[in-house]
Amino acid sequence: MSKKQSEIKDTIENRDRIHVVMFFLSMLFLFLGVAILLRVVHIQASYTVDERVIGLFRPSVQKHVEPPVRGKILATDGRPLAISAPLYDIYMDCTVRKQEYAETGKDSLERAWREKARELSVYLSNEFRDKSADAYAKAILDGRDKGSKYLRIQRNIDLSTLEKVKSFPLFREGPYTGGFIVEKHEERIYPYDSLARRVIGYVKEQNRIGLESSFDSELHGREGYEWRRVTDNKRWVRDLDSAQVKVQDGNDIRTTLNVDFQDIADRALRAQINEDDGVRAGICIILEAKTGAIRAMVNLSRGDTPQTTLWERENLCLREVGEQGSVMKTVTLVSLVEDGYVKTLDQTLPTNNGFVPGGYNQDVHILDYQRETGRRDITVMHGFEISSNYVFTWLAENYYGKKPQEMFDHIYSYRFGEAFDFDITGMGTPVVNRPGTPGWSKTTLGTTAYGYSLSVTPLHVATFYNGIANKGTMMKPYLVESVEKDGKVLKRFEPSALNSSICSPATADTVTRALRAVVNEGTATRLRSAKLPVGGKTGTARVVLSPKERGGSSDPYSDIQGRKKFQGTFVGFFPVDNPKYTILVTVYSYPSHRNFYGGTKPAMAVREIVDKLYALDGTWDSEIRPTASVPLMEQKAEVEKGKVPDLKGYGLKDALYTLESMGLLCQYTGAGHVVGQSPAPGTACKNGQTVKLTLK
Amino acid sequence: MSAKTIWTAFRNTLRALRNGEFLLRIRADKYYMHIMYLFLLMWVTILLSLQVDKTLTQAGDNQAAIDQLRIHYAEKEAALVKLHSASAAEARLKELGVELTLPQEPATLIKKK
Repeated sequence: MSKKQSEIKDTIENRDRIHVVMFFLSMLFLFLGVAILLRVVHIQASYTVDERVIGLFRPSVQKHVEPPVRGKILATDGRPLAISAPLYDIYMDCTVRKQEYAETGKDSLERAWREKARELSVYLSNEFRDKSADAYAKAILDGRDKGSKYLRIQRNIDLSTLEKVKSFPLFREGPYTGGFIVEKHEERIYPYDSLARRVIGYVKEQNRIGLESSFDSELHGREGYEWRRVTDNKRWVRDLDSAQVKVQDGNDIRTTLNVDFQDIADRALRAQINEDDGVRAGICIILEAKTGAIRAMVNLSRGDTPQTTLWERENLCLREVGEQGSVMKTVTLVSLVEDGYVKTLDQTLPTNNGFVPGGYNQDVHILDYQRETGRRDITVMHGFEISSNYVFTWLAENYYGKKPQEMFDHIYSYRFGEAFDFDITGMGTPVVNRPGTPGWSKTTLGTTAYGYSLSVTPLHVATFYNGIANKGTMMKPYLVESVEKDGKVLKRFEPSALNSSICSPATADTVTRALRAVVNEGTATRLRSAKLPVGGKTGTARVVLSPKERGGSSDPYSDIQGRKKFQGTFVGFFPVDNPKYTILVTVYSYPSHRNFYGGTKPAMAVREIVDKLYALDGTWDSEIRPTASVPLMEQKAEVEKGKVPDLKGYGLKDALYTLESMGLLCQYTGAGHVVGQSPAPGTACKNGQTVKLTLK
Repeated sequence: MSAKTIWTAFRNTLRALRNGEFLLRIRADKYYMHIMYLFLLMWVTILLSLQVDKTLTQAGDNQAAIDQLRIHYAEKEAALVKLHSASAAEARLKELGVELTLPQEPATLIKKK
């Protein structure tokens, strides 16, 4: 074979090998292509995910979210008014291991489980005392028969109880044998129950009211998260290679509320209105005169049904906008004195049989006054004491009739025209019928002077009176004094003035004298003998009825049966000569034929509050300082063993010490120093013998 | 490198492994210290990793214990505070049949000179 032929043969062999390789490669790709196609069809049509496969793809770390602990709401002395703590719900999977026991065919296992369930029932019944042991056993065993996997055992139990329950028979065997299921949920605990509840507020899922709502951003805190991985011991630990955001618990809010004051005010108010089902609601505000700090804010209400028990249902102190009645005469008086129209409280005005020209109703009380005194004039002071509508209408018309805006300027400067900034949102907006507004009429000026035609909240009224108590500086009422974290103050809210001078100190003194006279001689004499001198004003106002309540009556203040709704108020401060606290109590009635006066229930509640605060506040505590000293013994008593010592001139303590150190007993009469003893000094004595001492 | 060479090397390796001469054949004795050092590093790494796990587990347990104590504290505080009010004290005194009431007059304090 020539060389050329040989080369040709090699080429052909090479080609054949390439063809074979290419053939196998193409077959391989064809096979893979068909396999992929079949796999796609299989996945689309009938593939189910294998748990073992999923396990391989599951990340080895898991995100764990840590919720923050909501901050506390504290009273001014640090006592908690609201705390967060988890509560637990217990459920039971009654079917636990039932199938497994059935499959083994051993009845003894099932019988043993049921026996333990009966034993558990006894423990549950003893712990919760809500059902008998038989009832618990029936529920659990019926649940097992019917396949109940989520039988409720108890809700809202605390951690101590949970730990106890965990140790009960069956439950102590854990979830896989005992069927024990625990669900934890964060709850807000209010240790004083209903006390100041409307001020503190509440958290209910997404609903928040009161301070819980206004300071939610401070109280809530910030959620944290971390990534966790599982260790070789199957424990979850933090994955140090992943990001972590530390949880930030909420800050604490320290309020100005004093639990004792709140408690006293709450009980005093309840004592006055609890038994009277004609009373719809009662409120009380106690302000510290110098700062405007709210020490107590009570909002007791029955709601729409008279039979319902009193509860903190709505914040009437803040939201009940209404005509306040005669307590607003003080507003008129302050304006008149400040403007110099009333120079002295003894200034007189004619009685005119109780008539003020211009369409006003006659004040029949003036007729009584004329009859009783025989006078045809009346002093401003007496008109204020007896709360005469005529006197204040006459004064308003006479001095502000031609320039009503001057009086309304005063009203606005007392902040009666606005819902000023407050720590709880939702303060009611006042309604002022000033000249030029649709509510203005020819009698509006006069009616405003005695507390109608001007609608404000009780907090407005208390703030104004606090201004008088504070010699003209009207402090802004406030409820929160600081934001704290672990006892450290982060933010402090200082007292501030709403109006640094609503009137001069001289005007405030004059009006204070008038307020004192109301208590001593006027409509609030129930407070005359309070343990601290009180100055204040009563007010009784008819309340405008809703169209539904009116039931077709044309009179906005009464229904078709002639029934009226009243609110009686007492507002003032004490002690009147150096005011420390301002107090307002208002009682609201249901529609009735009865009258509710500010000088009765509200004044009596104030009296009780003042008397109790006098004893508890600490301001009026007295001190005893030593005026003499007891001389010290300069030398030790000479004692001869076995003989009664001479104890004359000894104090009881020294005499007792001497006798007892000798092993003798002592009986004594009187007080002071030893003047006589039996047996006599020097008498032989035995251990345990009694020596009688006479002290003088 | 031909297939025969590869096969020979593979066969020699198996034989060396069987006779316990593999490390000597590849002259691993020259790198003995390096190998030991590598083993030491691996051992330390595993040990540290186990210690970290143990510490983190302990920290987790401690945190759970602290949380539980915090809950206990909050519950006890609430229970205690409930008793710390004038009306609760009065109710308890009444329940016990004690005639003691809230003070009717301010306190008289004894001060040192």
